[in-house]
Order: sequence, then structure tokens, then C-alpha cells
Amino acid sequence: MTVTSITQPDQITRAAPSIDLHGEATPLGRLARETWKARELLVILARKDFHVRYRRAALGVLWALALPLLQSAVMAVIFARVGHIRHVGVNYAALVLTGMAPWTYFNMALASGSTAVVDNTDLSAKVYFPRALLPMTQILTSLYGYVVTLAIVLGLCPLLHTPLTLHTLLVVPGTLLLVSLVCGFVLVFSALHVYFRDVRYLVTAALMLWMYVTPIIYTASDAPGSLRTIIDVNPMTGIVDLFHYATVGHVGAMSLPLAVTAVWTVVLLGAGVALHCRYNRVFADLL
Amino acid sequence: MTTAIELRGVGKRFTKYVDTPMLVTAAARFRPRTRRDKLWAIRGVDLEVEDGESVGIIGRNGSGKSTLMTMIGGITAPTEGSVKVWGRVAPLISVGVGFHKELTGRENVYVNGSILGLTRKQIDSRLEAIIDFAEVEEFIDTPVKFYSSGMYVRLGFSVAVHSEPDVLLVDEVLAVGDIGFQVKCFERMQEVRARGTTIVMVSHNLGAIQRMCERVLFVNDGTPQLVASPDEAISAFHRLMSTSTETVVDAGSGKRMEPGVVRIDDIELIGKGGEPTGAVEASDPIVVRVHAHALQDMDDIVVKLLLFGPDGTVVYGDSTADQSLGSVRADSDITCDAAFRATLPTGTYSAMVHLERPDLRTTLFQSSLLSFFVNGRNTVAGQADLEARFTLGSAADRHRHLQSLTNLADGDGRGAGEDVDDLETLFGRTRR
Repeated sequence: MTVTSITQPDQITRAAPSIDLHGEATPLGRLARETWKARELLVILARKDFHVRYRRAALGVLWALALPLLQSAVMAVIFARVGHIRHVGVNYAALVLTGMAPWTYFNMALASGSTAVVDNTDLSAKVYFPRALLPMTQILTSLYGYVVTLAIVLGLCPLLHTPLTLHTLLVVPGTLLLVSLVCGFVLVFSALHVYFRDVRYLVTAALMLWMYVTPIIYTASDAPGSLRTIIDVNPMTGIVDLFHYATVGHVGAMSLPLAVTAVWTVVLLGAGVALHCRYNRVFADLL
Repeated sequence: MTTAIELRGVGKRFTKYVDTPMLVTAAARFRPRTRRDKLWAIRGVDLEVEDGESVGIIGRNGSGKSTLMTMIGGITAPTEGSVKVWGRVAPLISVGVGFHKELTGRENVYVNGSILGLTRKQIDSRLEAIIDFAEVEEFIDTPVKFYSSGMYVRLGFSVAVHSEPDVLLVDEVLAVGDIGFQVKCFERMQEVRARGTTIVMVSHNLGAIQRMCERVLFVNDGTPQLVASPDEAISAFHRLMSTSTETVVDAGSGKRMEPGVVRIDDIELIGKGGEPTGAVEASDPIVVRVHAHALQDMDDIVVKLLLFGPDGTVVYGDSTADQSLGSVRADSDITCDAAFRATLPTGTYSAMVHLERPDLRTTLFQSSLLSFFVNGRNTVAGQADLEARFTLGSAADRHRHLQSLTNLADGDGRGAGEDVDDLETLFGRTRR
């Protein structure tokens, strides 16, 4: 009798259960709390990923920076010499480099983030943490390389007759928007990829074509009319326009494309969060 | 006591896809619906585990016990019912989760520790103890790809047990590393348990279950059978195993090699108390009993016993080929007993009895396999428990014993006589 009277109040006042499952869906508030609690894990996973990605390479982290810069340089040379791109009074190399910086980040984070839940089966099938952490890890990992690349590109700009101004500070909100957009995309794709295993190939294929319908190596006004519609609904147009505006100057339409980007971001984030709330706890069944 | 784990009507249904779902075909409505099968892995589990209690889950492969564990660990949600767990859960479902071979041991400890829910600070303070326990001091800054599998597993286990969770879920991990480390793991688990950690474990090592758990849930074919004391549950499990149709040889009737002579109706294991049982203690006197029916008169019959170990090898075989058991009359029921002591290490064994004709050396009837569990002594490894007695003496004593053995080998009778006495004293003293 004494024992029960002691334990009874304890049972009433004790904390909420750490695992409380009924039904497959996770309520939004709960998922948000769990994700916030796991933020340290997010940083550790991102650091691990970064180490793993570049430790083996002889030049280490340099590869992370050299490759996108090299790619941009090749693009600039080829399209300036071979392609008949009209220059609208800006330095073409600076145009390509400043456009390629956000694009390279988008490309890398989207490709690795979309497959993150499946690629980390050894983690996600063995222990619980919010699965959204896995695509988000890829966003962080790619961010290391992006920040350094962007700094180098901005450093090169004055050498390419493109002086930096106060407008250049717009790359900061530009980056935030870029990260949010990528976040929306990878949340949706990482969830879809658990079920539809061809998402991996679809994303890779889409990214290859996508770059050419984004005004990176040309300006929107140069684009042929047939491509205009695609460029207009492309969520990356606004971001690249913003980066161009921040460096080489006003070459795109910007305000309308930015609105398009914002709509995409909100819709994708909403859909991504909804998908993760619904399937977060049952992804492991299909891994 | 307060509740640590509460399962109410828990069931999990898996969907097995016949075709791999493709976004391309789904979008193109190429095929309206992916073909799929649905099956319940486990259903109708009600279980409450108190704080600090140790509960085992046993059952055959595919009985749903691991699925149940993944739900308690929150890795997957139940299709029906509810799962509630209070406190921090560390699943020891496989050791070294998140280990990456390119990272050093130290880096992996941080990754693995964070995955198990530790903060950076907590890992900092436990790092030394973790490395110490894993015995990898010299290699802690070496990438784990250069680790031996033993080192790898030791480090993984060490992080898990040092994460000091409120609820520890153990799935078959005690069977890792060499025997020395297994003993260490087991001791550590006992410590963790003594500290009041709630433990749920799934294992085929019924000996470990019996030693670690206060209650055992026995599941079969996705249905909980009973929650009882380890002895009761293990015994129920073995009753099922011994009548199971999935044993190596077709159950029940056994195999008729030469028809019309004799027939084995049943084979059972009689424990120390004289009752049929499925689980016995090490060194218990036990009897493998065969109930047979003779169809012909036989002057003599040879009984052969075969005992298979957990890995399927023959641990022991013996027969009555050098003795006579007497004649058997036609149309009579006969009972044949093979009594021996279960001087065996922990594990699941199978016994089989052959009835043979002495003159022709042919098998008349072969019984079905009888499966039973031996709860061996903790310290024993290998195929048999030879019940070694250990003694400790001075170096001089040891030298004399060694000398006597050498003298015996050399056939030096003069010095040996005295020492043989000594050896006999030694064995006399150490004999059980």
C-alpha cells in the first residue's frame, strides 16, 4: 500500500514520453522539437561528411574549391569564344563566375541531398532521429565549399573590371534564399526517393539540362523566345539574377523572377515538411 | 515502480512491393498501381516494462521480435496500437552505427555518440572511459579502416554502453568479439543493469537471456505467446522448436529406413525433475527418451544416440553396439532411454536416436530431431564442458609436477613413483 501511494503521484507528474507513437505520422510541433534538439548532431554529421568527402584527396579541401572554379573558367572561355553570346556591357567572365557560384551550390546540395535518406541507410535503419537531418546535412556540407568559392569569386571581380559596391552585400540575402530553396527541394526529393528509387536519376538528368535554362552563362534578354517561359518559371532565375545584380550590375528582370523563387520556396518547404511529417517514422520500412 | 515502456495492441504491417515503384511510370500513369503484398510482421503485443527491469524477447527467425525492437527504439512507427517509451533510448541494434572507415576512432566516437543522443560535452567527459574499455588507446587517432573487426566492434560497443541511456535495447550484439571481450561485455551489461537501466534484449543466445532478464516475451509467427519467467518462456520456446516442422529432419514420425520392423512414435527430453523439458542446466542428469513400437520379434536391437551442437556438428555420438539390450517382442511398445549428464556449454542442441539391427548394421528407424537448450556455465567456451578444476600453488610445486610428467614420459621409473603419487594427490584433490 505504502509503495503504491508513493509511486502514484510520481507517475502523474512525470515528463512526457520520449517516444510516443500511435499511427505513422509525426505531428508538426513534435517533429520541429525533435529537429531542434538534434541540431548538434546535424553539425557533427555535416563535419563528418565534409571530412570524408575531401580527406582522401591529395589536395584535400582544395579540390572542393578548385573544381567549381575550374568549371566556371572553362565555361567562360568556351562560351565567350565559341558561342555567340552578346555582352550587354558587362565583363563576361565575371558574369559566368558570379552566376556559377550559386548554381554550383544548388547543383551539389540538390544532387546529394535528394538521395541522402537512402544513402545513409546504415544510420536511418538503425537508430531514430528526424530523417530531415540527413538532407539538411548535405545542405550544410556543401555550404563550406560554397562560402569559400564565393569569397574567391568576389575577390576576383575587381580584377575582371567589376568593382564591388554596397550592392554586393545582396549576396547575403541571396544565399539565404538559395539555401531555403534548396532545403525545400531536398526535403521533397529525399522523401520521394525513399519510395521512388528513380528520383536519383531524374534529379541528375534534370540538373544537367536545368543549368542551360538558367541565365548563368547568358542574360535573360539574350534567351530565345521559346525558352523564355521556362526561364520565367525557373526558381533559380531569380537567385542568379540577384547574384548578377549584386556584382556585374542590372542584367536581368530580377523582381518578378525573385517573386517566382519565393513562391517556389514556400510551396516546396510546405510540401517537404508535410511529406516528412507523414513518412518520417516509416522511411526505415522501405530502406 | 514507474513504467519505462508501454506497448498497447502494437502491430506492424509491412508492404512488400512486387515491382519497384518508379516516379516516371507513376507520373505517366503507365501502370495504375504498383503491385504489392501486405503482411503483418507482428500483431497484438501488449507489454509494460517497469523502470530498471530487464525483459527478453525470444522467438524463431522471422517471428517479429526484431520488428518489435525497432518500434520500441522509435525507428519505425506501429501500424496499429501505441508505443510509449520514457527516457533516452539507446538502441544497441548494431554496434558502431554511423562509423565511417575513413574517420579516426576518436572522430567516430563523436559521430556515434551524437547519434546515440549524447551532447558534445558528455562525449568529451566520457571519451577516456570509452577508449579505455574498448582497449584501442594506441589506435584512437587511426582511421577505423585499419582496425581489426574486433577493435571496431569493441569501440562501437563501448560507446553504446557508456552512453548511459535510460532504456537500452540490445539485439544480438553480445555475440561479438573474442570470448574475453564477450565476458567483459556481459559484465558491463550486468553493471548497466545494476545501475537501474531498463533493458530490452533480443537474442538467440538463450543463456544470455536467462541470465540477464527477469521476464521474457516469447513470440511466434508474429503473435505474442506468453510473457513469463525466463525458464518458463525458454521451455515453451523449446517445446515449440522440438515439435516444429522446420527442424532439420521431418518431425513427428521420423524416417523409416527399413519398414515393418520397428517404429519410433516420439522422442522427448526428460529433465532432472523427471518431467519432459526443453531447457536444462549445465551438468544436469538428463534422459533422451524414445517411445517406439516393435512390429516384429527381434533378438537384439542397437540404439544409437547422436548429439548435434549449435553449429550442426556432432558433439557426441554413442551406441549400444558392444552390449545387448535384450530381445523385443512383436507388437509391443518399447521405451528406450539414453541417460547422460549435460556437460555442455550454453547453446541449442539437437538429439537424434537411431534404432539399428545388430547383425546387418542397418538403420531400422531414425527419430526426428529433438531440440533442447543447455544453460551452460558463464566461463565455458568451445564444444564441451570438461569441468576443469583450477588450482594455484607455488612455483616449486609446479616444477615438481612438470618434472613428474617428464619422468613418466621418459619411462624413468625411479623418480616417477614418488611423483605419480603427487599427481594422484593433485587429481584427487581437484576431482569433483
